[in-house]
Amino acid sequence: MQANKPENFYQNVKDALAQPDLKMIIRRTTDKAEAKRAEAIANFPGFENARKQGQKVKDHTIKYMDHYLAEFEKNALAQGTIIHWASTAEEASKIVLDICRQHEAKKVTRSKSMLGEEIGLSHALDNSGIERVETDLAEHIIQLAGDPPSHIVWPAMHRSREDVIKLFREYHKDPTYSEEIIDLVRSARRDLRTKFLTADIGISGSNFLLADSGSSCTVTNEGNAELTITPPKVHIVTAGIEKLVPSMAHAVPLLRLLTRSATGGEITQYITFHNGPKRQNDADGPEECHIVLVDNGRTKMLADGMEEMLRCIRCGACMNHCVVYKHIGGHAYGSVYPGPMGSVLTPHLNSLEVANKQTHACTLNGRCEEVCPVNIPLPKLLRSLRAQSWDKKYEPLTNRFVVKAFAALAKRPKLFQLVSSCGVIFMRLCSRQGWIKSMPLAGGWTRNRDLIEPESKTFMQQYKAMKKAKSDGA
Amino acid sequence: MNKQRNEISRERIFDAIRAAAPTVTADVKAIQNEALEILGESEFARPALLAEDAAEALTLRIEAGLVIGTSCEKIASLDQLPDSVNQFLAKYALPAELKVQEIERLKALNWDGITTEVDIKNDNTVGLCWAEYGIAETGTFVVHSGPDMPILLNFLPLYLLAVIPKSKILPYMDDYALIAGEIAQRGETPRNMCLISGVSGTTDIEGVLIQGAHGPEVLHIIIVEDQ
Repeated sequence: MQANKPENFYQNVKDALAQPDLKMIIRRTTDKAEAKRAEAIANFPGFENARKQGQKVKDHTIKYMDHYLAEFEKNALAQGTIIHWASTAEEASKIVLDICRQHEAKKVTRSKSMLGEEIGLSHALDNSGIERVETDLAEHIIQLAGDPPSHIVWPAMHRSREDVIKLFREYHKDPTYSEEIIDLVRSARRDLRTKFLTADIGISGSNFLLADSGSSCTVTNEGNAELTITPPKVHIVTAGIEKLVPSMAHAVPLLRLLTRSATGGEITQYITFHNGPKRQNDADGPEECHIVLVDNGRTKMLADGMEEMLRCIRCGACMNHCVVYKHIGGHAYGSVYPGPMGSVLTPHLNSLEVANKQTHACTLNGRCEEVCPVNIPLPKLLRSLRAQSWDKKYEPLTNRFVVKAFAALAKRPKLFQLVSSCGVIFMRLCSRQGWIKSMPLAGGWTRNRDLIEPESKTFMQQYKAMKKAKSDGA
Repeated sequence: MNKQRNEISRERIFDAIRAAAPTVTADVKAIQNEALEILGESEFARPALLAEDAAEALTLRIEAGLVIGTSCEKIASLDQLPDSVNQFLAKYALPAELKVQEIERLKALNWDGITTEVDIKNDNTVGLCWAEYGIAETGTFVVHSGPDMPILLNFLPLYLLAVIPKSKILPYMDDYALIAGEIAQRGETPRNMCLISGVSGTTDIEGVLIQGAHGPEVLHIIIVEDQ
């Protein structure tokens, strides 16, 4: 599957809505995640306090980001880690490729990292002729399918069991002929095990960077990060600069929030802090450790007053609860980051000019903000991006005309009432048995659902009639 | 050339941060105090334990099925460990062989009738490791990498047994973070600190939980009371 482009958002949405099973497949996972999160939070009465604490940890680190970045660098260097800085995605990718080439790497294993996707590392590795092995099961599935990820926690949620059966039979050395999910997972276990043990370089992301020790932290349920990182001679971490926290103690409240918000579990099975290369006489571990610290638009977010978005811990709760995401899935957004958080991030990582339509794919119902574990005001940020998009004239001419016409009408009450009463008459003429199935100028709505017939009088007509009846009665 | 490019990018990032938030330069002590103040809120922002005693709370959490794929038992002293291991192997109808972590206190036990050296690179093996700490809040055992602790011992076997000394079971993750901070202060931070809370699992196919994705499918925690 070719990756969609963010600028083709409307066409991407049409394509997604035309897929008969997509909505059902997405909801199977997101609805379960929603229910499990609700249960986890009901069992944790201190959750609201934890959210406030988590928000404070992130805000504090962002406020003093230069201090903590310098601390992190100093302490990581002291552990023997080699630190690299990358302003852009291209730079970050090039740094990783250069390290791979220096070590003449033929095979690299990767544990899931959205930052890795963001900087285009998968393509860069593929194009350089190095064998790339994705070790997270979902990433393994989408690598075999040639798909981009469709969710930040479950990247293969758009793929059904039937798809996985076909892929594993085609690509695994010793595939299963069973259709049971456990046998499919065992097939992947067999296939990946030798790859873990024979890779030249292991590449991971990092959920947290601890400033006071220079550690990176991986969080997984599968344990694939440790299996990716430990056997090869070289470990490369790619991480966004916003992953910083002051210390392990500050990562703890965020760990409490992350799993509950992402999967509804209380904690992930594996949390590992990685502190540089192996020590002398260590039984295993990489001999060399590199951390690539990536900006790629993050300092611009700071400058643009979008620093609240830098709190994001990538739990995916906002997309699990988003009515738009649940209909169109992740690929329609045309970005590594879909859903509400993606609609705020993508304009900064790419540009608002190409990703402004996504900011309108939101009902502003506020669910994303309600469930965000670090209280990111996503609707406010989306509204602010809409305003910027308007100011920069990125909106299509028809939209600009309609909004301006509405503004002109709204400033002239008598004309507004006349037009709206004509509108009501027109809509009722188009209606059959209480529903409007099609109507000129409303195809965008009626193409996918019916519109309810309006009341016979406008609000103002009813209000005036009510007022008159009251005064007549008096 | 690369070094120069790295320096340029570093400066560019720091300049951009300082330009975006010109008030950032503050006295380090004040920053540290502010960071410490946030940690003061942890008492009201963490879940209740299932019992006052940390070892009891950890046991209850596992027995309640809250730690994926995990069972637990208590033994009075370490010399009872080989019996527990035998019972575990019999329960899962496994051959009398496993990889025992190579530390003196485990090697010194009476392993008669059990092979204690197997190649964990093969699948379907059993591993036995010594945990540095336990954490009651999350049903966790903690291992630190070192000359006698290969990290892969905790990830390659299909069955894993972890021994936790009762005295090393901490109530909360915050308590472990404090200890990790002290280890760092002494300059003794190991390469890896792994917090393991259950078995390797995945919900990536149709949201169904499967145990033993890449690592252990079964985990058995043995708490040693006199340690």
